Amino acid sequence: MGPLIPNDLIPFEWNLVIAIIIGIAFGYILESSGFSSSRKLAGVFYGYDFAVLKVFFTAALVSVIGIFYMDYLGYVDFSMLYVHPFYLWGALIGGAIMGVGFVAGGFCPGTSLCAVAIGKIDAMIYVIGIMIGVFIFSEFYSFFEPIYDGYFYGNITLTESLNISPYWFILFFTIFGIIAFALSDMVRKKVKKVFY
Amino acid sequence: MINRNLVKALRYRYVLLAVGLILLAGGLVLLPKQEKHKGITSAELLSNAISPERYMSTDEIAHKIVNQDPSILLIDVRDSLNYQKYSLPNALNIPLPKLLDDNSMTFLNQDQYEVVFFSNDNFDADKAWIISNRLGFKNIHVLKGGLNSWFKTIINPTMPEENMPANAFEQYRFRKAASMYFGVVYPESVIQQSTEQKKVPKKVITVKKKKKSTPEGGC
Amino acid sequence: MKIQNKHTYWNPYFGGFLLGLLILFTFYITGRGLGASGAMKSSVVSIVDTVSPEHAKNNAYYSKFIEEDKSSLNNWLVLETLGILIGAFVSGGLAGRISLKVQHSPKITSKRRLIFALIGGVLFGLGAQIARGCTSGAALSGMAVLSTGGFVTMLAIFGTGYLVAYFFRKNWI
Repeated sequence: MGPLIPNDLIPFEWNLVIAIIIGIAFGYILESSGFSSSRKLAGVFYGYDFAVLKVFFTAALVSVIGIFYMDYLGYVDFSMLYVHPFYLWGALIGGAIMGVGFVAGGFCPGTSLCAVAIGKIDAMIYVIGIMIGVFIFSEFYSFFEPIYDGYFYGNITLTESLNISPYWFILFFTIFGIIAFALSDMVRKKVKKVFY
Repeated sequence: MINRNLVKALRYRYVLLAVGLILLAGGLVLLPKQEKHKGITSAELLSNAISPERYMSTDEIAHKIVNQDPSILLIDVRDSLNYQKYSLPNALNIPLPKLLDDNSMTFLNQDQYEVVFFSNDNFDADKAWIISNRLGFKNIHVLKGGLNSWFKTIINPTMPEENMPANAFEQYRFRKAASMYFGVVYPESVIQQSTEQKKVPKKVITVKKKKKSTPEGGC
Repeated sequence: MKIQNKHTYWNPYFGGFLLGLLILFTFYITGRGLGASGAMKSSVVSIVDTVSPEHAKNNAYYSKFIEEDKSSLNNWLVLETLGILIGAFVSGGLAGRISLKVQHSPKITSKRRLIFALIGGVLFGLGAQIARGCTSGAALSGMAVLSTGGFVTMLAIFGTGYLVAYFFRKNWI
């Protein structure tokens, strides 16, 4: 029963080999989907290209549906999966800063790495920028600490915080995603084409 | 013609995909809910139950207590009244009804100690063993024969007959020495030893919470 | 005469589907999701640790990630990041997209693009630390297990993105 490595079904040494393989697949998919182009990524905010939204939501839907099927069929133990912790203000403020950074820089860390791999100089600058950002955070850690460590609600899922059955939520989420896809196509037809 | 039909069908490909996705998600809602039981399967339980490692003999336990083996954790599953009257040295008292309390879990759900359940006989300890095993706890044992056997073999060992094999005498010698350790006074040793009972110092048992190898965060 | 369009990418739904399967596989094998900014954090930590170990030890944040006798670079996310670089290089190479250049809108200079890339990077790096993860680590992997934190982070990123998009429009359209 999965997850395989935390359950010691695969020797720990394989962990690092698997990391590279997963990374290669991740990079390949991101690049092939066009995520190495900042202008394509930024399109989601201006309505001329919704690739980010489509890839992102399709991936989220496929993975969440898949995980819950696997959990149901007993292939994976949901309680052993890592759930991103919920620090209310950390997520909101951090997310807001990332949002500004996304629009300004046109990348997020994963996609910037893809762009670095195919030789985009702006992406290299962006990665250096990220490192400076991490450096600033670390140097002023005591200043950020109240947000970083405060308002902690645990590693909770929406099932607990919204008190809703995960299956129903997934159904609503799927419908929401598909409506978003349809709307994005409608918006794109209205917006002036941008060639990049 | 085929081409045109194909084109026609392809026009609806996104709609079809969307419907497929919704059906998949809806399937989760419609699936019959199943009871998930935690812990090990019945087959594993059976194999643990017939494993000889399940029991620890009184001699083994006596040996470990005398040597102050830090790896064992004795758990008395009788009620606290009996526990106060007599129990093994350093034993903890977790009466059977309280087995599943959070407090008890700290001692049972860990992998530092060999947990040994005991009661007056095998029965209550066996029940505790089955429940703990079912929950998937590791290193759980039962004191074979319980305290009754403890008294019979360690505290009050029977002298072997003349015609018994040599290891029976060795065992007897060990048991006798052990019983002296546990405070039994023999007439022949009174001369050298004063009658003061040897108090085994209570050892403080600290159990670290079991660290599950939960995966850490992504970014 | 048909010139291969360098911007022909996969159908986004196809890419998303594969990405979803990859996340599923990652969770099945390792119990956690994907990540990207973690490796950059590790790099910063090890750079600081090399330049000034004293400082790294005294800083409350770096010291969390420094282990004795173990380079902080030797971890899962760093190898995964290495994989991302390889994978993207292969994909870009196969599609003929590899070239050293600054990509920017024709209306702005490449200097302006680089300045904004730097600003964006700094902000993203800072935000990713505060939120404990970036779009892949927190939002994407978080959403796969319905993590509340992941959803809130995702909403915050894209919500703010849309709010401020107007002010940066010159850079893109």
